[in-house]
Amino acid sequence: MNISAKHHFRTYAPAPVTKEQIEHVEILFGGLHWRAEQVLQAVFANMGYNARPLPPAIKDDLLRGRELADIGQCCPTSFTTGNLANFLQGEADRMGASEVSDRYIHVTAGSCGACRFGQYHQSYELALRNIGLDSFRMFLIDQKQPEQGTSAGGGLDINMPLTVGAVWGILCTDVLQGLEYRTRPYEVQAGQTDAVVAECVAYLAEVFRTRPYRGRKWGTVAWHMSTGYFIKALREVFRKFEAIEVDRIRVKPIVKITGEFYLQTVEGDPNYNIHRWLESEGAEVYPAAIAVWLDYLIRCQLQKIEDYVGVEKGARAKLAALKGAQRLFRWSYNRMRAALGDIPFEMPDQYELRRLAAPYFHHRLSGGEGDMLVGKALWAHHKKKAHMICELSPYGCMPNTMSVGAMAGVTGKYPELLYAPIEVKGDAEVHALSRCQMILTEAKKRAIREFVEVMERTGLTPEEAKPLLEARSQMNRATYRIPHTGLAAGMAANTLLHLAGARPARQAP
Amino acid sequence: MAKWFAKPPSAAPLSEADRAARAKLRVGIPKVLNVWTTHQFWLGFFQALRLSPRNLVFSSDTSDAQMREYGSGRGTVDCCYPVKCVSGHYGELIFGQKRRIDILFSPMIHSLSSFMDGHVMESLACPRVMAAPENIKAGFLRERDVFAENRIAHVAPLVTLAEPKLVPRQLFDALKAVVPGLSIEETARAVEAGFATLAAFTDDLRARSRDILEWCAREGRPCIMVLARPYHMDSGIGHEIEADLQACGYPILWSQYFPTDPDLLDWIFRADLAEGLIRHPFDIDDVWPSSYSANTNEILWGAKVAARVPWITCAIRLGSYECGMDQPTFTPVQQIVERSGTLFFSFQELDSTKPAGSVKIRVETIAYYLECNSPGVMEAKLRHMDGPGPLQTARASAESPG
Repeated sequence: MNISAKHHFRTYAPAPVTKEQIEHVEILFGGLHWRAEQVLQAVFANMGYNARPLPPAIKDDLLRGRELADIGQCCPTSFTTGNLANFLQGEADRMGASEVSDRYIHVTAGSCGACRFGQYHQSYELALRNIGLDSFRMFLIDQKQPEQGTSAGGGLDINMPLTVGAVWGILCTDVLQGLEYRTRPYEVQAGQTDAVVAECVAYLAEVFRTRPYRGRKWGTVAWHMSTGYFIKALREVFRKFEAIEVDRIRVKPIVKITGEFYLQTVEGDPNYNIHRWLESEGAEVYPAAIAVWLDYLIRCQLQKIEDYVGVEKGARAKLAALKGAQRLFRWSYNRMRAALGDIPFEMPDQYELRRLAAPYFHHRLSGGEGDMLVGKALWAHHKKKAHMICELSPYGCMPNTMSVGAMAGVTGKYPELLYAPIEVKGDAEVHALSRCQMILTEAKKRAIREFVEVMERTGLTPEEAKPLLEARSQMNRATYRIPHTGLAAGMAANTLLHLAGARPARQAP
Repeated sequence: MAKWFAKPPSAAPLSEADRAARAKLRVGIPKVLNVWTTHQFWLGFFQALRLSPRNLVFSSDTSDAQMREYGSGRGTVDCCYPVKCVSGHYGELIFGQKRRIDILFSPMIHSLSSFMDGHVMESLACPRVMAAPENIKAGFLRERDVFAENRIAHVAPLVTLAEPKLVPRQLFDALKAVVPGLSIEETARAVEAGFATLAAFTDDLRARSRDILEWCAREGRPCIMVLARPYHMDSGIGHEIEADLQACGYPILWSQYFPTDPDLLDWIFRADLAEGLIRHPFDIDDVWPSSYSANTNEILWGAKVAARVPWITCAIRLGSYECGMDQPTFTPVQQIVERSGTLFFSFQELDSTKPAGSVKIRVETIAYYLECNSPGVMEAKLRHMDGPGPLQTARASAESPG
């Protein structure tokens, strides 16, 4: 026999977390926007786990991530690696490395590629080794598996109630985020929306913390689908928004955010705080809902099965079952959206996105947003959902650069589509924002032009609109829905169109 | 009887007109990315469709001149050089042929047929590599349709070579409009022929690699394992670094074509298997749990092999500028190789320009290290192996008078 194979390199394998240990352990997670993270914390608590989101990633984390892991990372890897390392290092300085390894574990999403996203854990492991925390325990959750059983040691159980709770938490915070972004740019009293949102997130967290237990598997799924529990909570959220007064005659371009998942989702240094920056520059931001990403993941699974129809027995049945699940998912989102007055942005139909993108990008090319990035840009353009697309792509992002490259064909065919692909390095803010501003300037002009056209079409001016709005006080509330006419993208233009529909057209002089 | 019914229906015979049309059909294939390890599949496939081998045209190796002459101004995005340079290959096939091609065939290879299939999570291609044709195409459509102007059909089917059942339909759907008289049955047979041609070619190269290893064992000579992606075989991307090392007297093995004979693999991984560290010689879960990328998997496996085979005294890692697939593997690959005492050298961030001076200096350095350390490395690694392995047995047979 060989002497031994022990001297060869082996990869990191976390030590087990036992059921006894988990009671004293705090689960760290991150990578989403703050609303979703707070609610996910409550979902963990509801399942008996003590969890907390990592602090928001900042520029120091980027530098730390670059320093600790292999060179050439994309910036989301650097931010998230540095974020974890900095937090743990701070704790280790306070209580010692051994105590940190006992007290915390990290849970992160893993995937089956095709990009570096599936390999983030490698950077985390290297960083932990480099700061002397080799024994720190980190666990991967497969984002495509609702039930993954218990981790080594049996302490952490990724089961259906936890997964469904997390998904419902994301859906609820998605629609809340949608309502928030449709309100804040038009609020009359600055800061009021933020205050209400903070209150609503705390309220939703409590709703999830006290979520009733309805079985381990299908019982919990059926309950989440059918219950009025979350709808009631969202109606309460809607009531809280009632207090916000808005002025929707402010002419603002709508900027749709697309791009790589992490950069389009988080709000902070990793994407140069671009959501807030755009609002401060006079835009209304159309944020990227996480629900749309989940819907896309379902589509990807469906597409894989579609290929096997006629090739393998049972593929058609599997396809029908998953299509049914996708319909239920979308129905659940729309139900929540309806609880907020149908004001949050709608979820685009995945098959429409696929059809729109087809001439430019194959739907089976996986990684990043794939054809969805192209499809969303065309969808927003054709349906007048936004004046401009701001696409956030990490420097060195493998799949996103491909979709962005394919967009050259789109902009060649539709030169009027305002498309700002922003390559985010994390430390080149001025360069990125100035690029965005160039396109935003054109978007503003376009929003004004659109508004003037609507004024001519309706014969209404802002001065004439004011008394009409005052006469209908409910229209000045954040909870009043201005229908999207399909004739204009902007809120102000659609408000005029809505008002014009409510009064007889003015006679020509 | 049951077998007879189970036979796939045979294709309708090809008409004379279709046969004649196919004989004239010229297909241009960009010699890029994963075509470097699948070219024999495409040759076997198209020849089975009765296209003349003389009408199957591959573009040249990548070069600065190719990019300047044919690909300039066609780039749509900044990405790694192996993808960026595809514009030059497209341009060469469109503008640089004495006889015009009819089809520019640029497969979007979504997954690869890998010898590790069944022991890894997946065998996907890199997301940039698989999407490259869509990206490069955009550069030829942005201002005007260059393909239509030149009467060339751009055919870029998405192909899942790791899922052979799906391939006939993928290729039939893409080619039915441009290959006269094509049927799904004929496509299915051509796909089988393609896989058979590829397997024969790969087997031949593996046998040659085994010959090299047996020679090394017989002569007590060291060799070098190259850990790289298929397109590093392109002289314009890998810059022939391995050829410079070979010129110093060290035979070269590529991990993609390392012999996979069970007797050899059993000997190499016997201790790992016995200690339950792996389930199979192709299992890389012990070093790389995220085993979904075919080329990454093969690089990691190659590193494990290099760390164990005594006569591989050095591993050379080649990586291109901005390669996101390589980036997370830098440390594991280096660790796997170096922990065993095997020499490890890496040429990272390779780009369009060959850094000839620095390559020359490094090659001299590597050769010097190999000369000084190879005997010690071989001896130390042999001590860890379980007796005379099949390579040494071959050595003994070669030496025996009978």
